[in-house]
Amino acid sequence: MTQLAAHPSARPRTRYTASGLRTDARPLHQSLVNWANTGWLCVFSGVGLSMVGILAIGTTQPGFALRQIAHLCVALVAATAIALPHYRWLERAIIPLTLAALGLLIFVLIPFVPEVIVRPRNGARRWINLGLTDFQPSELAKIAYIMGVASYLRVKQNYRTFVGVLRPLALSLIPMVLVLVEPNLGMTLLFLPMLFAMLIAAGAKMRHILIILVIGLSIAPLSYPLLLDHQRDRIDAILAQMRGDPRHQMDIGYQGSRAMTLVGAGGWFGVGASKSASLIRHNDLPEEHNDMVFAVICCRWGLFGAIITWGMFSVFAFGGLLTAGLCKDPFGRLVAVGIVAALFAQMCINTGMTMGLLPITGLPLPFVSYGGSSMVATWLMVGLLFNIALRRSKYLARQSFEFDSMPQES
Amino acid sequence: MDTRKAIPSMFHRRLALLAIVFALLMVLLGGQMIRLSVIEGSEHRAAAESKLDHREYLPTYRGQILDRDGRVLALDRASDDLAVEYSVITGTWARSQAYVAARTDVGKAKWSSLGPERREELIAERMPAFRQRIEELYQAVCSIGGISRDDLQRTIDDIKASVQSSAAATWERQRQDEMQRFGISEEEFKARPIAAQTDAHIVLHRLSDAQTFEFRRLSQQFPGMIEVQASRRREYPWLTANVPLNRNSLPREIRRDEVQVITVAGVADHILGSVRDQVWAQDMERRPFNLKDGSVDLGGYLPGDSVGSRGIEAVFEDTLRGLRGAVHQRIDTGEKVRVDATPGRDVHLTLDIELQARIQAILSHEFGLTVVHNWQHNQVPLGTPLNSAAVVLEVETGEILAMVSMPTMTMGAAMSTDAERLATGPQVNRASDGIYPPGSILKPLTLAAAVMEGVHNLDTRIQCSGFYFETMKTRARCWIYRPVYGMQTHEALLADEALARSCNIFFYTLADHLGVHRLRKWLDNFGLAHVLDIGLTLRGKDGKVLWSDESAGQLPTDEEIGAWKDRGDTKFNETVMGIGQGPITWTPLQAANAYATLARGGVIRDATLIIDDPRGTRPKRRDDLNLNPRLVATAIEGLRQSVEENYGTGHHIKIEGEENPEVILNSDSVTTWAKTGTATAPPLRTVDLNNDGEINGKDGPGIKDLDHSWFVGLVGPRHGKPLYAIAVIVEYGGSGGRTAGPIANQIIRALQTEGYLPGDPDSPASGQGAPARQEPEDDGGDD
Repeated sequence: MTQLAAHPSARPRTRYTASGLRTDARPLHQSLVNWANTGWLCVFSGVGLSMVGILAIGTTQPGFALRQIAHLCVALVAATAIALPHYRWLERAIIPLTLAALGLLIFVLIPFVPEVIVRPRNGARRWINLGLTDFQPSELAKIAYIMGVASYLRVKQNYRTFVGVLRPLALSLIPMVLVLVEPNLGMTLLFLPMLFAMLIAAGAKMRHILIILVIGLSIAPLSYPLLLDHQRDRIDAILAQMRGDPRHQMDIGYQGSRAMTLVGAGGWFGVGASKSASLIRHNDLPEEHNDMVFAVICCRWGLFGAIITWGMFSVFAFGGLLTAGLCKDPFGRLVAVGIVAALFAQMCINTGMTMGLLPITGLPLPFVSYGGSSMVATWLMVGLLFNIALRRSKYLARQSFEFDSMPQES
Repeated sequence: MDTRKAIPSMFHRRLALLAIVFALLMVLLGGQMIRLSVIEGSEHRAAAESKLDHREYLPTYRGQILDRDGRVLALDRASDDLAVEYSVITGTWARSQAYVAARTDVGKAKWSSLGPERREELIAERMPAFRQRIEELYQAVCSIGGISRDDLQRTIDDIKASVQSSAAATWERQRQDEMQRFGISEEEFKARPIAAQTDAHIVLHRLSDAQTFEFRRLSQQFPGMIEVQASRRREYPWLTANVPLNRNSLPREIRRDEVQVITVAGVADHILGSVRDQVWAQDMERRPFNLKDGSVDLGGYLPGDSVGSRGIEAVFEDTLRGLRGAVHQRIDTGEKVRVDATPGRDVHLTLDIELQARIQAILSHEFGLTVVHNWQHNQVPLGTPLNSAAVVLEVETGEILAMVSMPTMTMGAAMSTDAERLATGPQVNRASDGIYPPGSILKPLTLAAAVMEGVHNLDTRIQCSGFYFETMKTRARCWIYRPVYGMQTHEALLADEALARSCNIFFYTLADHLGVHRLRKWLDNFGLAHVLDIGLTLRGKDGKVLWSDESAGQLPTDEEIGAWKDRGDTKFNETVMGIGQGPITWTPLQAANAYATLARGGVIRDATLIIDDPRGTRPKRRDDLNLNPRLVATAIEGLRQSVEENYGTGHHIKIEGEENPEVILNSDSVTTWAKTGTATAPPLRTVDLNNDGEINGKDGPGIKDLDHSWFVGLVGPRHGKPLYAIAVIVEYGGSGGRTAGPIANQIIRALQTEGYLPGDPDSPASGQGAPARQEPEDDGGDD
């Protein structure tokens, strides 16, 4: 129960409009900003992971490690910037943000855009050239997507029905297809965990979710012929590796087998800096500073290092879920869940592919992999999370996403 | 539900659910991590660290083959070869160079943004220039190497064809293997390049020093395309020799008082064998280089190694093969461990290569004794060259001093037509692998059998009746019981004279009384139907014969004897065995070996080519036949009379129009104990009439009623003991005394030249002018 102020403040009285009531009915003894919040868990674990990343990159590429420090600084600035305004302003900007993201996604795909602006790499059109660095619209699309879905689920309540669950799924296909065509299969697949996590958190019925998952997994193998050659190759390679078939170790399975060998070579505590540098160099691990950085971590610090890394991601996830739980605002809750799901899923996919559980995708490890675009995007999400954790709820809102018939206490 | 009470808020419950899902994912990932680092950790560590090991292997030398006097018959000699990279040979080098050039010209950043079609265009623009470069290289190679462009092209095309066919075979094998192991379909198979497709291939062998220098310079002008490779070639220094032979002791018709220098090619090449440069799958299986436990057998086989493929090179492959050296370097610490290469061990042969070359010259058609002449009374057309073989053994030790088979492999390779090769069969080592009926050569052994079995008393005389079977007067006759000789018979003879006169009836009698089983037993004792294992038989670990140039010959089997019984001709067959006809065959080596055994009184010391056999001692057949000394003395005496008394069939040759007969063995200072043999030969066919790739009974009737010419015996210093056993055969030579005899005579002179026997080898023919005998002088074999 909210208490009415015993002594109204010296501020001029406002009219009791609905919006006015909303803005004024707030507990006066509490400030709007909660400095001791669960978001720090995410920030500290993020910084820890970034440090691990810098050290890991520095094992074989000290130059890149220095640049990664610069990327971290830029990313921290960006995170701070996004944490400053209350996130409700972002919520209000959701439509233009979404349109901008979609527009950029379409922009990179337009064939006759000059190569100065959209520079293809190996035939993939994913990056916009910003002079100093390349910027991936799909990263921005991820953030916009989380906020868009959170906004949708907050407004619509019909996702408790089966058809209602299918609707957001269908809407998600638009950005997914745009990203898929770049081509970027890894990023496309990341949309699904985000959506499902947010649906689960929002209260969609579990059996609906499970039915969709079962149907989806059953028809997924049928899409094999539709995939591009290199995507099919990667699936072939992982299947061969799992069977113990060494045929593809020297061509399409090369990256996977090298990564697995180096991960295993670390043992309990790793082989140390210089030895791991030699091993990585002579075993010829490709992309050791970005996609395969987890293999470097395992090689240098062993099982211990992997556990520390996963531990920090778990702390991050814990912090994020705690933020979601403590947040009373529905938009904030879902965005927090979405961010945690995005980063955690990306971490699982990346480490899974490094260890030979999944086919090779192009997804980097958040915080750890080298890359300005990825760092900034990740830290933007951390900033958003911190933003959510920072705010105390201003108004008494109906407890959101409670569909059980238990009476609620405020 | 409890959860509702514990966590009242559904949202929080859902968060808890998400947390649990995350936790499960972590467990999954953690599990895989533990599997990789802890359970499989050491394997992966080893695999990763193996890349830090740099191993280089150092080449080694193959062991030498030496003769009894230490002369080197086979050795590895360092040489330089010119090799061209396979990508240049196929032309793909031009494309890869064009790719690099295009990429450099366009710039790495721009290149990665181009699509595949544009990239292809840029590459195609640059390719002709690089193709031109290849052609320039080839022109330079031809000019320095002194070969024509066409020859070089032929070599290159051959290399391409052979690599492609070996790649196809390898891929087929791999495809079958993978289909079986992994159940993949045929289309899924991915062909990986085989080693030969990434190597450089030799186009010019054995460069001269000047060429090596020029080619080294050329390889700097054309980097990455050619290289000068140091290699080892197997050389056989004694393969060709110039042998001076004195013609003054030859039969009168071809005698001249001059020394003829004969060039012989392929001396002992059947025995020495050869190496091949191609390693086969079975070599790598037998002794792989990379062992299953990850270690390395330095003596194991790698592609490009030489492997003995025939002869001593093959039989003693494991002895001759050396061990590679190794340099093991850790890339991270830089420490080096070096193991030097171990050269292969040498093999010492009992051969005397000079004697071998000399005897080969004696058997050469150039010298004339193996060509059909008038005095030989041969039905084969005059001037026809004949194949032949000769073996010389040392009686005391059984060591083979010479073993010649004509034609040699080298002579066969030099033959101009395949037809000639098919007719003469140069790949057969006739001395140890050629099987022939023994004919009269067997007679001393028949005598030995009869005396040792007690069916003949050495004091008994046997009357020569001319024919043995009443009912078959024209079969199983004595050789002088023929119209051409006026149907003569020998008088009652003792054993030694029977040998000397080669009376068939005597030996029919002995064989008849012996019966086939006892005769066969004694022939077996003397080494017939046995592989003597002189060093030309390669056995696998299980004792199975993998390669052999030794034949056992044949004695009648129990089944055959049973078949005789069914046909009812047992008596006839076992009787004619006594004079070496019927189902008995042997090799010239076995003939010399049997006579040596006889000379030793029955002590068995089977012939051998190897001194200090590195394979260990041969299992012996038995130690001693314990021959009756009087038997041995009688047999030896009979052999002596055969060649030294004027009634012996091996003493002289009567020539029409000459008053004095020609003494066959005309050397002084030596005593010879020998037997002539004229053995029935199969019809002579030399043309593959039906073009089926073989010359056999299907190729027409051939020339019938021909004989092989044998001369087998012992020789020693005059008044001394027999020191050496000699066996000579001339295929289709006709009469033993007329054709093989003079050859044996020359071999005795050769032994004198090489110091094995006393006397002057250049002394003119002695023993001339012996009075002509009344009786016929050569045995025409059996009927």
